[in-house]
Amino acid sequence: MSSVTPDPESGLYRRPEIARSHPTDSTADGLPVLSLRGVTKTYSNGKSALRDVTLSVPEGDFVFLVGPSGAGKSTLIRLLIREELATKGKVMLEGRDLAKLNRRDVPQIRRRIGIVFQDFKLLPNKSVRDNVAFALEVTGTPRSRIAPAVDRVLRVVGLAAQADQRPAELSGGEQQRTAIARALVHDPRLFIADEPTGNLDPLISWEIIQLLLRINEMGVTVLMATHNAEVVTALRKRVVGLEDGRVVRDETGAAYHRED
Amino acid sequence: MLAFVAFSLRRAWQGFWRNSVMSLAATATMVLMLMLLSGLLILWTGLHSTLDYVQSEVQVVAYLNDSATSSDVTHLTSDLKAMPQVTSVAYVSKAEALRRFQQRQPGVANLVDSLPTNPLPASFEISLRDPADYIDVATYLRGQGAVESVQDIQKTVSQMIAVINIVSTVGIVVMLVVALTVLFIIVNTIRLAVVARSEEIEIMRLVGASDAFIRWPFIFEGAFVGLLGALITIGLLVLIQAPLANLLSGFFNVLPVQASAMVGQNVALIVLATGIGIGVVGSYVSVRSYLSR
Repeated sequence: MSSVTPDPESGLYRRPEIARSHPTDSTADGLPVLSLRGVTKTYSNGKSALRDVTLSVPEGDFVFLVGPSGAGKSTLIRLLIREELATKGKVMLEGRDLAKLNRRDVPQIRRRIGIVFQDFKLLPNKSVRDNVAFALEVTGTPRSRIAPAVDRVLRVVGLAAQADQRPAELSGGEQQRTAIARALVHDPRLFIADEPTGNLDPLISWEIIQLLLRINEMGVTVLMATHNAEVVTALRKRVVGLEDGRVVRDETGAAYHRED
Repeated sequence: MLAFVAFSLRRAWQGFWRNSVMSLAATATMVLMLMLLSGLLILWTGLHSTLDYVQSEVQVVAYLNDSATSSDVTHLTSDLKAMPQVTSVAYVSKAEALRRFQQRQPGVANLVDSLPTNPLPASFEISLRDPADYIDVATYLRGQGAVESVQDIQKTVSQMIAVINIVSTVGIVVMLVVALTVLFIIVNTIRLAVVARSEEIEIMRLVGASDAFIRWPFIFEGAFVGLLGALITIGLLVLIQAPLANLLSGFFNVLPVQASAMVGQNVALIVLATGIGIGVVGSYVSVRSYLSR
């Protein structure tokens, strides 16, 4: 497989899958995977969800996004997947300004981002395999390439044996792992987890965190919004704290709560 | 591309049956509308071909007095034949008129036999080069003492045109109202289908499905309602074709039979195009408002 084949629809250069296993391999132009500069988001009711947020996340980073409910974590994530546009400031993904993105190119950007939520968002009448395959089907992947890709990510998340079960037959942890497999199947550069352990008990939460760490080791940048203090404090990763729409702290190797 | 079409068709099919009651209700209304459309088309075609026939056969019929003598007849015949507007002149005697009447109405032939005298007038049937020359010939005939009356075909033609205009206007208005109703029903059916799939659509957007992948299954679903409605309508038309043809040839005495096959083909094509068109437009409108959020 050639390493410089542009995706026929987007014109974006997709990196070959092999590159995923080299965490040190940064994007060709050396730009951060995501960067926000002076981002403000004000809703039509006049409420500001984000105020002058500046943030830069380099390739391969693992970032915890913490803060009380309503601090703006979900708004930040909605801006990153271009579900909404910033009122002021710039949101850049892999060097591309999301505000200047053609509407037609939005789907291509979303394929570069894998995202999971607290509520999993699985389709109840589809098996684990079909839930994961759905992400490829709806993006026009040829049938012959779907099955191998699905099998690969199901092995990564450790669900190969449960492939034919439906979400209702799975535990919460297994459902979240199905959602993670689906988010991984497009080989994203950025993995966003919005409260991924919010519905899970502590032991299962740790399994999910281990999985996210492995994904990060594979070279994927991970951004995880969470309230799980125990996990954040134990892992000593980069912590970005939001409060009332502002970044109140951005520390590397930090705990859930401020330690100074 | 092939994967896209196969995917969209499969989802459209699933979508149609997922909410089968609503889909079938939409199909049924579609059938009703298309039946109405075909009825209007057939009626309109029939009226038009009758009009064409009447106009092509423009001839002046002049009824003679019973007192007209054979010298009157000879005189009139030669005069008419001399006129440049006239292509042919035929004299129908009282006896011939009676014979024709008995042939056309065999049921009342006995009744006519019981009459003391032949009540039918003799007449001239005069064919014209151009229907516009009618006035000249009619004026000449009305000035002749032997002529009792001149049949006014022009009046018949203009009455028919008036009828056709009324049928067309009323038909088009009714069709538009019904078509809008059907469109509304399709929009709602597809909107329900979209809402039923809102979870899937949300996931599709998150994993980076393009709008086409989200939109086309629903458009195919609408087209499918239209196609099914059109096929059922055409099937019904084929079933009632024979009784309908009898009815029509009874109603429009002169409708040329050989035209009906072509009429049928045209009606089938129009029904298909209308059905699929309304289905596609309805679902496009429905999905567009949902996707443009």
